[in-house]
Amino acid sequence: MNIKRDRLQIIHDILKVIRDKNGTIKPTHILYKANLSHQMLDEYLNDLISRKFVVENIEKKGKTYSLTDKGFNYLSKYNLITDFIGSFGLDMD
Amino acid sequence: MASLSLIPSWFFGYDVLLELAFAIITLVVSFFAFKIYKLTAQRQPKLFGISFLLISLSYFVRSFVNFAIIIKLNEDICRVLKVVSVNTWNSFGIYAYVILFIAGLITLAYMTIKVNNSRLYALLLTIPIIILLLSPNPLYLYYIISSILLVFIAIHYFKNYIKRKQPKTLLVLTAFAFLLFGNIHFIFSVNHGLFYIIGHFLELGAYLLILTNLILVIKK
Repeated sequence: MNIKRDRLQIIHDILKVIRDKNGTIKPTHILYKANLSHQMLDEYLNDLISRKFVVENIEKKGKTYSLTDKGFNYLSKYNLITDFIGSFGLDMD
Repeated sequence: MASLSLIPSWFFGYDVLLELAFAIITLVVSFFAFKIYKLTAQRQPKLFGISFLLISLSYFVRSFVNFAIIIKLNEDICRVLKVVSVNTWNSFGIYAYVILFIAGLITLAYMTIKVNNSRLYALLLTIPIIILLLSPNPLYLYYIISSILLVFIAIHYFKNYIKRKQPKTLLVLTAFAFLLFGNIHFIFSVNHGLFYIIGHFLELGAYLLILTNLILVIKK
């Protein structure tokens, strides 16, 4: 990806990666499929968990992450969100 | 503050309807901004929603005040014209309108500077409102402060247009330019009624452009 991704797009990419893996994924898969550093992934996952877009499942094999209804809703309305934010100049961070 | 402006008598009633329309349009924009905030949990849509909600409330108050003036004048014309009673009755409403509108613009300007500091926001809100309340001529001051804020906001939308160069960003830029020019006309409306009418039509153009942009975003 040539253009620097904004925060909304990174969130979209993480949620999309989880959705494409049937809604549940390991952190390492998110790391390389969403093209993020380890530090950024931790930061974004904590943010997404606190905002209830994603839930963390602790299993015997390790941690996995699943999408919540709020996460699915974000993905389905992503175009509306970016269009609203772009046209009304509500750039993120 | 006796009244907001010199209003041509034939325009009585039309201004009430226009202000009611502005109140409804800004309320709809605010509603969608809060919907976006609910989806993203980001602070910019929240601030945008708050600013448009404050502006919407200000127009509801202004519309009500102007409606009350018409009713009161009609009553008094039937008896003896008592302008003083109109002033007393509406002073609170006019101050409420001015404070709500300025608070809305300050919130919008605060959103554009991308600083997350509640103390700064409180400071930005407090200083102009206190100055307005203590000023011997708050009307001129209100129009001047709101014009300065609108210049600041219009520059943000100009930069947004340059960054994206999309028809929708041009619509929003034009809308805020109309709001700015409309506000400048209101400065002169204190002495000339015609500027009050031009100001209203520029505002109408601005809010119709904002509504058009919102419809385009939702329809896509």
